[in-house]
Amino acid sequence: MLDTTTIPLAVLLFPGGLFALAFGLALKGLDRRVAARLQGRVGPPLAQPFFDLVKLARKRTMVPDIAAEPVFLGTPLIGAVSMLLAAALVPIPGVYAPNPLLGDLLVLLYLLAVPAVVLMIAGSASGSPFGAIGFSREMALMLAYEGPLVLVVAAVALRVGSFSLSDIVAYQQTHGAFLFDPVMWPALLAFLAFYPANLGIVPFDIPEAETEVLEGPLLEYSGPALGLFKMMSALKAVVVLGLGVALFLPLAPDGPAGLAVHLAKLVVLMLVGVTLLRVSMGRMRIDQAFAFFLKWPLALSVLSLAIVALA
Amino acid sequence: MTLMQTITEKARNLAVRSPWIYRINAGSCNGCDVECATTALIPRYDVERLGCQYCGSPRHADIVLITGPLTARIKDDVLRVFAEIPDPKVTVAVGVCPISGGIFRESYAVHAQVDQYLPVDVNVPGCPPRPQAIIEGVAQAIAIWRERI
Ligand code: SF4
Repeated sequence: MLDTTTIPLAVLLFPGGLFALAFGLALKGLDRRVAARLQGRVGPPLAQPFFDLVKLARKRTMVPDIAAEPVFLGTPLIGAVSMLLAAALVPIPGVYAPNPLLGDLLVLLYLLAVPAVVLMIAGSASGSPFGAIGFSREMALMLAYEGPLVLVVAAVALRVGSFSLSDIVAYQQTHGAFLFDPVMWPALLAFLAFYPANLGIVPFDIPEAETEVLEGPLLEYSGPALGLFKMMSALKAVVVLGLGVALFLPLAPDGPAGLAVHLAKLVVLMLVGVTLLRVSMGRMRIDQAFAFFLKWPLALSVLSLAIVALA
Repeated sequence: MTLMQTITEKARNLAVRSPWIYRINAGSCNGCDVECATTALIPRYDVERLGCQYCGSPRHADIVLITGPLTARIKDDVLRVFAEIPDPKVTVAVGVCPISGGIFRESYAVHAQVDQYLPVDVNVPGCPPRPQAIIEGVAQAIAIWRERI
């Protein structure tokens, strides 16, 4: 099992790298298309995020005079690479189990915090006042949702007795998925509240609210650097949704059918938790979102940890 | 070499399907802005199907819609924002105001015509123009943009 030869393949091609990127872009395209349909519009083609990336690759990257250039240009790269690594850490039940040398759930948790940190640094390095507002909002939001996430993960790990995602998947395949286990429902609810915030969509897109802070940290980015941020968020969708599947419903047949089932689950999570939510709600204020996360998801995740510890 | 050329050509064909639009209000009476918003937002004239997207930041823009007669108060700011937009870009002047000053043309406070200061590629006349005309202007701008990207 301690074979290192497949790691580059897993990071660059499948299930990280190209595969995750292509699927993430497709998810984003689907999200935009379905959102348009729900609003009674025709909507863009499914491959629209891919066209956007090609376009951005052909534009010029401008660096503001007052920006700290190495940081300004380095942060998108760090963000995209961290998500590339994270995508190789998420198991696809029945198809792919991450190499333990690559890392476990704890490494994934740290990698998941990178995009938000990168956006904060990018916002303040750009020297724009809107970037600075985005920075402070991103930080507040991150403080609010990171706690519940860690507690949810801790509850699942405590239940299984391991921080390895492969073990968590294997445990549920023999003992039944946590989705159908009332003991885990508080954790599930907390996770359902967490992932829209982590993906930065309405009602939690407060740091990048384009109508008030002009996309905040992304305001000063153009061309390939902005493209890297778009790649980062596409990969992040695959990682976060994949983590949800691994934590709560990793039941799938072996082989290609397992892959199909996994992708179908991600599509459902995306359409229900992201698209439906974002077309049906307005944006929260940062203090409302902060209070919301400290009230419900945090309480639920503490509750779930307590129940699991006692059970 | 020819392989390189076909790849570039392919990439250009894909890139041209993602024009992002940015609006500059150069002292417009807001009539044109309402029409621009209509063009983008209501189901009937959805421009997102062309791949267009309204963006909040000039740095993300490919196609610039300028409305209004370029008032003296706002001229320097407009020029500054315009310089912030990365190349390659295409400029569309919406309404008669940027063309001639429209109903404000005799005023001491306006600097129309806008194309004395900015390279305007497409003019969409009308006071205000209909959404269909704006969409056609954007389509022409995409054709011009194709040559530049
Ligand atoms: S063209 Fe007409 S509607 Fe448009 S800004 Fe000028 S006066 Fe207003």
